[in-house]
Amino acid sequence: MLVELERILGLSQKLGAEYADARYVSTSQEPVSLSSDGAPQVCTSKSAGLGLRVLVDGAWGFCATPHLDPRSLEKTAEEAVRVAAASAHFKKGDGVSLAPLEPLKARWQTPHKVDPLTVKVEDKVGLLSDVISAAMKVPGVSRAQASMMSFREDKEFMSTDGRQIEQTSIHSGAAISAMARGEGDVQSRSFSDYADGGYEFVESLDLVGRVERLATEVVELLKAPQCPAKVTDLVMGGSMVALQIHESCGHPVELDRVLGQEATFAGTSFLTPDKRGTLRYGSPAVHMVADATARGGLGSFGFDDEGVEAQRTDLIVDGIFRDYLTSRELAPMFGQESNGTMRAVGWQNIPLIRMTNINLEPGDWTLDEIIKDTKEGIFVEEPRSWSLDDKRLNFHFGQEIAYEIKDGSLGKKLKNAAHTGITPEFWNSCDAVAGSREWHIWGTPGCAKGEPVQVIHVGHGASPARFRKVKVGVGH
Amino acid sequence: MIGKEDCLKALDKVVSYAKNFEVAASLRAEDLSLTRYYQNHIHQNLKRHNRTLTVRVVRGKTSGAASTNLLDDGSLRWAVQAAYENMELAGEDKDFPGLPKPEILQEVQTYVPSTANLKPKDRAEGCGVLISLAKERGLQASGTYSSAVYETAVANTSGVRAHSASTEGFFRTIVESGDNTGYADLLTRDVRDIDYRAIAEEALAKATLFPQAIDLAPGRYDTIFEEYALADLIRFFGYIAFGAEAKQQGRSFMALRMGEKVMGDNVTIWDDGLDMRGLATPFDAEGMAKRKVVFIEKGVAKGVVYDTRTAAKDGVRTTGHSAGGVGGSRSGPMPGNMFLATGDSTRGQMIASTGKGLLVTRFHYTHCPEPMRVVATGTTRDGTFLIEDGRIVARVKNLRFTESMVDAFGRVEAISKTARITRDWWSTFSSVLPCVKIREFTFTGATA
Repeated sequence: MLVELERILGLSQKLGAEYADARYVSTSQEPVSLSSDGAPQVCTSKSAGLGLRVLVDGAWGFCATPHLDPRSLEKTAEEAVRVAAASAHFKKGDGVSLAPLEPLKARWQTPHKVDPLTVKVEDKVGLLSDVISAAMKVPGVSRAQASMMSFREDKEFMSTDGRQIEQTSIHSGAAISAMARGEGDVQSRSFSDYADGGYEFVESLDLVGRVERLATEVVELLKAPQCPAKVTDLVMGGSMVALQIHESCGHPVELDRVLGQEATFAGTSFLTPDKRGTLRYGSPAVHMVADATARGGLGSFGFDDEGVEAQRTDLIVDGIFRDYLTSRELAPMFGQESNGTMRAVGWQNIPLIRMTNINLEPGDWTLDEIIKDTKEGIFVEEPRSWSLDDKRLNFHFGQEIAYEIKDGSLGKKLKNAAHTGITPEFWNSCDAVAGSREWHIWGTPGCAKGEPVQVIHVGHGASPARFRKVKVGVGH
Repeated sequence: MIGKEDCLKALDKVVSYAKNFEVAASLRAEDLSLTRYYQNHIHQNLKRHNRTLTVRVVRGKTSGAASTNLLDDGSLRWAVQAAYENMELAGEDKDFPGLPKPEILQEVQTYVPSTANLKPKDRAEGCGVLISLAKERGLQASGTYSSAVYETAVANTSGVRAHSASTEGFFRTIVESGDNTGYADLLTRDVRDIDYRAIAEEALAKATLFPQAIDLAPGRYDTIFEEYALADLIRFFGYIAFGAEAKQQGRSFMALRMGEKVMGDNVTIWDDGLDMRGLATPFDAEGMAKRKVVFIEKGVAKGVVYDTRTAAKDGVRTTGHSAGGVGGSRSGPMPGNMFLATGDSTRGQMIASTGKGLLVTRFHYTHCPEPMRVVATGTTRDGTFLIEDGRIVARVKNLRFTESMVDAFGRVEAISKTARITRDWWSTFSSVLPCVKIREFTFTGATA
């Protein structure tokens, strides 16, 4: 499609665009899902088209179309320029100027062994059937579900700055859950994980072994006492830490939100520019990075949708807030170049500043040591709900399962656990982070942002961690 | 816009590929234009054209699906072949009732040319009214103005053949005055309904009322919810409890308490897909006619919405609320156009009758930690005010609520006489809602 991209960039420039970039994206997916009360659901899907972004008189316009014939390309360029001209009536100051970028031709592909779209559907259905059977064998389980992601995106990008990028991303993963009900109550236990990688990642997850444990736990949860409401020490498993990072660090460091560009929907951020380099966001144990180069992370890629190379950026260093996720338009406000986080979902959306892999760097504890070192508290695993205010300060997270911790040992199971707090107070109470053996990049495929909303794939490196004096058991 | 003839032509072609199997196909087309502004200038502006054709191939009780956004012959044949291959691998679905037969569909006027023909310049001018007013008063405005044309067409080998075109305009703003914000919006089929100045004035007034926000300790407060806020509370019932699948799986309060008194006498909630006060639509994703369903009548749990699969399981007729459509997605049936019965009060009377309480404009990022009791949590935004002795006396810093919605709707003290179409924060639903006052609503935290 490079010929079409070149043509539409030329048309845009003829129509008055001082800058333009175009993406042709072809996405193939084959989600498979299965439940204990229904037949397998398989829906193979393909979507392809072109998105054109133009700058006219310092203002943005965008148009996307699935039609690539010469007349449609002309119409798309005309519409994008017309939209940009309307924006220019209310542009900021002299308009947008972009951080410079050298011309480059490059190719990138997800490192993988087996493209998940080449795996026979019957093999996927077979694996998920085994998961369902294993869950339903456990007495007391009323329902089980399992699903699998097989995703491939082929993208060609070209800009009038001379960037020409070809990129293929392959994502794989699975989700499983077991439900139990009785005495007016329903409980669920689940597991999900996704990666920038091939089907070998799904095979590594031991879904059948995991679901047996989850099924046993969910039945026991029905009889478990409620998580008490109190202030206590909170130890979180890796998947819960991953979501806490996502919501309370990943979103607040998106510079477009900080400036108010997402105010009407996703909200803004407490991490205002005056806090950059000075705010004690967390304790010295807290070191967070945005790392789009991490192998296997669901937020990994070669180049963003402005043609900027994937990078690793320090966000929080020894607890101090250091930097934002940026774009070519916004990075210059700090005298920087973009750190490469502008991404769009598919061909039909504009790129926005998005999380890559936002990771809490490993510490030097083990989960076992953290539990042994905790006199009284609770240990929680697997998020069930999440809610934050529009500045990402006040948060509330619910969990599927909790355990009492007493005198350094795990005790009885607790249901309907939740914790709440204020972001910097919470991260400043972090005094123990488990090390690299228990550190893992959790794939989060459902990060929503923008209008129209775009749901993108991101990752979060995390290991278990402890937080002192947290309000738990809120809501019951 | 593709148009009725071409939409159905594409589906007829897909249906004609059926040989020793049955076929259902749907086409969803979108022409979306959207302008976003912040700090009194436009920063994002787009137009996109897209469509998704989904094919479901059926033999007996087995089926498979595929979708594509390309409508050339090769792509249509690929979709049917891919769906066929998926069907061959799928096991039998004992609850699949077969493809539905056609129903008589009511004509609903959902397409308005003035919305379809809105130009980028028109949207910029609309945003400009707001931006100019904000600038005049030294304030900052952010917001969104979208206009869209949607087409939905459904056909199958049992004779279903339906098409509908609709338009949608949505204009909203947040006005910032220092640390304070105010919000207003309008959702409509016809953009000529949008009074930019009135929306601006509503948001400006909210942003500037009582500039110094005070801290308020969490606790239980008699609380008045404006329509925007109520939309976020109602949505939990919509996606957790008012669908037949949750009832059949025993995972909702409606499953356990059907026929029982679950809320206050003054609470009646229903869905009516044909009521033009909301975003009416003639048929669902399976091409089945929309039917009115009462969920809660004077506090009593009465019913849930169905698609053909869940209806067959319960031995009833579909209510026309398929959300998954021909793709066979198991998201289960969902409401689409909910209503809460109005009362005999006004917002002003509710404030006047409050000794100590709160007025909440809107919520942010609500979620449901405990689905069975519909325990919801979220934070207030864009205008939360303290009421004392029947008057608004102060702006309050944002608060977090955590409360069972079933319990809360048992304590509704007053409902306004008027209702308006309102979208929740997530845009899960658009519903027609009044203001309500709930006694002793539980706030569990405050923003620093």
